Amino acid sequence: MDGFRFDLNAPHIVVPVRITGMQRMRWVNWILDTGSTSMVIDELVALRLGYNLESAPTVSVTTVSGTSQASIIAARQIFALGMRVEEFPVLVMPLPEQLRSDGLLGLDFLRRRNLFCNFEKGILLTLPFVRNFLHRCQLVTHLFSAL
Amino acid sequence: MDEIRPEPIEQIRRRYEGEWLLIKVTSHDESGLPKEGILLGHFPDRKAAWDATEVIDGEVYVLFAGPTIPEGWEAVLHGWVSL
Repeated sequence: MDGFRFDLNAPHIVVPVRITGMQRMRWVNWILDTGSTSMVIDELVALRLGYNLESAPTVSVTTVSGTSQASIIAARQIFALGMRVEEFPVLVMPLPEQLRSDGLLGLDFLRRRNLFCNFEKGILLTLPFVRNFLHRCQLVTHLFSAL
Repeated sequence: MDEIRPEPIEQIRRRYEGEWLLIKVTSHDESGLPKEGILLGHFPDRKAAWDATEVIDGEVYVLFAGPTIPEGWEAVLHGWVSL
């Protein structure tokens, strides 16, 4: 079980994400954002994956700069950091052009496993929740070997 | 006609620093992440890159070759959702 290696000098932790939409599957780079409660995808990207945003439900979103409305879509599948989810809700928002990423990997996805981050070496590791003592020992072994 | 050979994605990124890339993924590493691919196009902005994906099927990687924000910028991203 290897950890994901990220660029220590980059402004964000950028994670490759495979997203399957209504019509297409694409690999994209999303920013790991533990401050975001939900996954976020850029509006244009959602359209190109085949979603019709006019009929999508909306939710209220609060950010540090104010509140707004965002459409919500269901990604058929998302694969990132060794985790795979199906029919997962993703907020759709227009991301600024200056942000060179197509989405945010939020807490609703990240909290499905334990997340370990080594900022000294640039390693990110996700491990399943502990089931029993033996499982805990196995996970600790993985953790020390990976980090 | 010469056959286009796959190359490491990191190599393509270094060649097109500062551009949006469309790469057809041809192989993965042991974690399942894209490892090698064939460059399908390089673009000055996100919109041009994603517009080009309209006519491409299969496993395609859309990425920016460079930092997520311009030099000298800071980013504050977090948000909360109310249903």
